[in-house]
Amino acid sequence: MNVLRVSGWKIAAFVLPCLIIYSLLVFVPILVSFYSGLLDWNGIGDAKFIGLKNFEKMLTNDSIFWPAVGRTLLLAGVSMGVQLPIALCVAILISRYVRKPNFLVSSYFLPVILSVVVIGQLWKTIYNPASMGGMLNQILESLGLQSWTHSWLTEPKIAIYSVIVVALWQYLGYHILIQFTGIQNIPSDIYEAAKIDGASGLKADRYITLPLIVPIFKISVVLSFIGSLQSFDLIMVMTGGGPAHATEVVASLMYNMSFLSMKYGYGSAIASFLVILCLVATIIINGLFSKLDKRYS
Amino acid sequence: MSYTAPVLRKPTVRNDRRGRFSVTTSIVYVIFAILIVTQLYPLLWLLIYSLKTNEEILSGSFFALPASLQWQNYSDALGGGQYFRYLGNSLFVTSVTMVCVIVLASLTGFAIARFRWKYANAVLMVFLVGMMIPMQGTLLPLMIIFKHLGILNTHLSLILPYMAFQTPIAVFIISGFMRSIPHEIEESAIVDGSGVFRIYWNIALPISVPPIMTVCILTFINIWNEYILAATFVTAERLKTLPFGVYSFVSQYSVNYGGIGAFLVLGALPVILIYFLLAEKITKGMVAGAVKG
Repeated sequence: MNVLRVSGWKIAAFVLPCLIIYSLLVFVPILVSFYSGLLDWNGIGDAKFIGLKNFEKMLTNDSIFWPAVGRTLLLAGVSMGVQLPIALCVAILISRYVRKPNFLVSSYFLPVILSVVVIGQLWKTIYNPASMGGMLNQILESLGLQSWTHSWLTEPKIAIYSVIVVALWQYLGYHILIQFTGIQNIPSDIYEAAKIDGASGLKADRYITLPLIVPIFKISVVLSFIGSLQSFDLIMVMTGGGPAHATEVVASLMYNMSFLSMKYGYGSAIASFLVILCLVATIIINGLFSKLDKRYS
Repeated sequence: MSYTAPVLRKPTVRNDRRGRFSVTTSIVYVIFAILIVTQLYPLLWLLIYSLKTNEEILSGSFFALPASLQWQNYSDALGGGQYFRYLGNSLFVTSVTMVCVIVLASLTGFAIARFRWKYANAVLMVFLVGMMIPMQGTLLPLMIIFKHLGILNTHLSLILPYMAFQTPIAVFIISGFMRSIPHEIEESAIVDGSGVFRIYWNIALPISVPPIMTVCILTFINIWNEYILAATFVTAERLKTLPFGVYSFVSQYSVNYGGIGAFLVLGALPVILIYFLLAEKITKGMVAGAVKG
């Protein structure tokens, strides 16, 4: 129970500065964005109110929009379906086989803290044609696999996968760290008790680690899903959404529409869609996991 | 709700075959080694790349070490002094943001955790909802708002949104910790005749150094690396922060491969140095941030 009885103006002095700045810079812009989504506006000249036309066009009559949504979900799906299971396995292995895990975990984590610009440029260099010093193609050529070489970021069919690989690479260490910490926090007496009952190794993982890691795993899922919905800086650094919109995701589409095509109203409609998508996704994921939690407890 | 930052505890090794060599163990270590290579080799490769001549880079011998270390690349990258300007700008923006976040969030966190008032949880909820809102959603409207306020293309236009987007997690972490401070401390302070501001400043704040450190780390990593807002709101060369600066450098010097490599290394260097010094604190802080978010 909080004990300090404080007069109203003192509470205001403590809370309001933060709350006001926060609302002005987060909630007000979101509302403005929803409103501008209703305008036909290039961001500079006169705005015309056109109701829901932007949203209508976005959802029914835009050949770039749905593929961009698809790519965003693809990134989220690969991230949750490939990256997280790998991270979980690695985390379990580390906790079982390594006595001084800090070095290993810290090394895996290093790419996470680097700027996306550095990461993106680094991988652009790796993906470069062999004649420009690109490592990947040089490796393939020296292995005699000339036919496998590609210009990884400019072939429309491949480019998005090249970018996704980088995103997975960068954040793998983050999820390993999160899940490893979760496993570390499972009390070890549970495992000792299970060993007496004859459950060790894989069995212990299945019946102890997995159920008890659910809350932490949820955090990884939310982070990777929301992160994928917002993933945008990596795309902007590596491809800018090109070639010919082949790597466009929702956020980059919003950016390009607003700043390159000068369709500010339309961009705002996409931004509103993104905000709603994030909120809905968070709620759904939380709902799913609270069911899962109940099943295991 | 107590502050339960997950800790990398002393490892409890659950290895049944301790000390004995087995096939499984060696397979597992091979997996670890492969991961180390995939996670770190690209960075090492960049370092080697940055010390090669253009000819060596283009020759296709990617494993080869440079014949002689081309420090020239680094003086190319540092020439013109942009690097240090970008670095200074990043330092300025990040530290101002950090100080503002800590002041605002600790005030609010203190009020939420210690005052007896009806709306404490409601205020906390407001921040929680805000955490789900993607920063990109505010990009366009902020651009227009800042243009009208005439602060586009100033550091203020970066610090304000950075601050706003770092406060929710900060409020959450700090108020969570402050709830766990025993009430006897402030009761005795009241008996001694201290006002709330004194209690905040002399008692709550000094005790709350650990969560404030966590907030510092999260803010540092997020803001130091932020690129999209920095590239949208600021265009003047002298105001660019490091990530945007690296980006512009790379686009300008597109044929000086070694120089680009050197600039990328320099761009990564500050964070890597800090990571070497504070690896454990940073990993703990990032996990705490993730768990709270």
